[in-house]
Amino acid sequence: MTASTIDDQLFPALDDFPNDHRGRPLPTWPMISARILELRKRRGLMVALIAVNVGVPALYLGIRLVMHLVSPKSYGPAGGYDSFTNLVAGVMFVFGFIIAATLGCTAGSVDLSEGVFRHSVVTGRSRVALYLARIPAGLAILVPIVATGFIVVCAVCVFAAPTKLNYQGVTVPSGLDRAQFVTWAEQNSQTVDCQFPFNLTSAVDANFNPNCGPQNGPGGVGITITKGGVTLKPATPAQMKSLAVIVANQDYQDYHQTFLSPPLKLMVQSGLWLELEAIIGFTVGLGLASLMGSRTVPIVLMIILEIVLTPILSVARIPHLINLQRGVVGLATAHLEPNGLPRVFGGHGPGAGGIIPESTTLAVIVIMAWLVVWTTLGAWRMATRDV
Amino acid sequence: MTSVMSVEVPKSGAGGQWAVETHDLTKRFGGRTAVNGVDLLVPRGCAFGYLGPNGAGKTTLIRVLLGLTRADAGTMKLLGHEVPRHRDVALARVGAIVDEPRFHQHLTGRQNLQVLAASREPAAAGRIDAALERVGILHRANDKVAKYSMGMRQRLGVAACLLGDPQLLILDEPMNGLDPAGMADMREMIRSLVAEGRTVVLSSHLLDEIERTCDAVAIVDQGRIIRQGPIDELLAGSNLEVEIDCDSPEMAGSLLSSNTYDARVSVVENGLHVSLPTGSARDIVAEMNRVLVQGGVSVYRLQENRASLESWFLEVTSRLGESE
Repeated sequence: MTASTIDDQLFPALDDFPNDHRGRPLPTWPMISARILELRKRRGLMVALIAVNVGVPALYLGIRLVMHLVSPKSYGPAGGYDSFTNLVAGVMFVFGFIIAATLGCTAGSVDLSEGVFRHSVVTGRSRVALYLARIPAGLAILVPIVATGFIVVCAVCVFAAPTKLNYQGVTVPSGLDRAQFVTWAEQNSQTVDCQFPFNLTSAVDANFNPNCGPQNGPGGVGITITKGGVTLKPATPAQMKSLAVIVANQDYQDYHQTFLSPPLKLMVQSGLWLELEAIIGFTVGLGLASLMGSRTVPIVLMIILEIVLTPILSVARIPHLINLQRGVVGLATAHLEPNGLPRVFGGHGPGAGGIIPESTTLAVIVIMAWLVVWTTLGAWRMATRDV
Repeated sequence: MTSVMSVEVPKSGAGGQWAVETHDLTKRFGGRTAVNGVDLLVPRGCAFGYLGPNGAGKTTLIRVLLGLTRADAGTMKLLGHEVPRHRDVALARVGAIVDEPRFHQHLTGRQNLQVLAASREPAAAGRIDAALERVGILHRANDKVAKYSMGMRQRLGVAACLLGDPQLLILDEPMNGLDPAGMADMREMIRSLVAEGRTVVLSSHLLDEIERTCDAVAIVDQGRIIRQGPIDELLAGSNLEVEIDCDSPEMAGSLLSSNTYDARVSVVENGLHVSLPTGSARDIVAEMNRVLVQGGVSVYRLQENRASLESWFLEVTSRLGESE
């Protein structure tokens, strides 16, 4: 430590300080970049983040790929529509939120707990700017990781999808339009009439037996069906075809939503939905941890919110508290879930027996409110806290 | 406040003569007053010691000055800028270590400085290597801070202070954790910073280190400043002790007692111990020597002992205790 090493150019004569507006509440790019550096160097956190968002789905799909390769008759293809929807709504949604919240809680508290925040404060930089720099920094790490995991899932589900569509236990050509589906149904009337679901009473006044017993078919013995005390005659081929056309028309909508692989639109919507969920988890975690000044307790609270409180409050009809329940961010996010995914939190869609109904507008407002309120609370606490 | 500093407080602006200026600054934690009506004046361009025992309120005052906690009453200025009103402008040219320097353990020394430089002006990032070199840890810059010793962290803390090309450095107990060589290095660096025209405020309870390093001091106890001013002036206000080694102590004692020095003379082994009153000039020592020689006393050694900062500090605080 000697004066002989001083670089006169780097430590020039004391002069007036250039006005760099460091009192303003907006973070600068170098501040954001520094926060990214600080976060991404946390090896354990990054490993957990990547493991949950990329590793778990990749491992699951990898095992399925291997099993299918080893025994294709016993194990179906790894990818496909069902794998995609189950992974997105069942795994990535919940665990993505939790790991995003963990990142947010870390970003919101470690500066304080490690005693470094005060070093930043004594530079004269606005505390609000120091806080806000954490948001783009955290998202710059989180969003690409979530996207990477999702792209892996999409790739496997598309490229390792089944080659034949299984609809109601029947192998059906995929991608048929209504006319093609009806034509196929006419050609496979016996299978369609006996295995596809349909509403007989309202769809057709069938006064025949569609020959669906286990021993039906050529040479088999038909089962006996009575209607109004009259034993119905076995159907003729023409009647069977006529019924198949009716069944095909009834079931087309359902068939249309059954895919070999996830359609592009659903993948895009699901990806954006997962990113939204991660952003919410991160931002709320950041605000909560900054407010509390610690990391562990906020992480526990966020986990409880996601896997205990939200599922309960999303489906339970608590008298007089329905509107309060609609303010739960997880419920609002569930209402933005893309059509085509199985409903999260165990519900079967909005309405009776499903999650509590809520308009899309209200859901968006609730989400925005959570983001703004928690960000504001965190910023306020960091600006007023003794450090 | 009791002060020996005989200066007129200017109506300071950004170009005022004080690097730090507080008036009636008070900070309470519940019923306990940690900083009690402090009037502190730190001249620019000096090394200033802020002395006090543990728990005296040194760190709290620094935290208030830097905006880490709010004052309950009083006003303050840093480099002539009112704080907290113009905190951003004032702190732009301040470097500070508060408590102990703490860093992200998982980052290297250089990365920690990058994080801190990002909150300063763009030029700060360009000063990282020079700052590391100046404090002597450039060769360890790429090691994780978790592997640093306490002394190295202190040095890294000083490097962090230098990123802003500061006019004012506030160092809280910077000698903590340093070995003797490290303390000497730190002293030398502080003096070199002062030589460049910077002001260094050094908080410490190590009186000896403050005396060796600083030009002026403030003594704080129980949240109050009890003395402040240049060290030379403060010590000039203390007793002057003279030890005399001679062949006839009894005779020497009677000779000196018969003169009107207002001195307390006591015979000790191998000589005399003379205690002169506060404010005595050094000429008296020469006069005593002449009296003894003219009186036929052989003087082998005559040594004046001005009180050290430590003895003065104890003297002042004991007087304060007696008056209370």
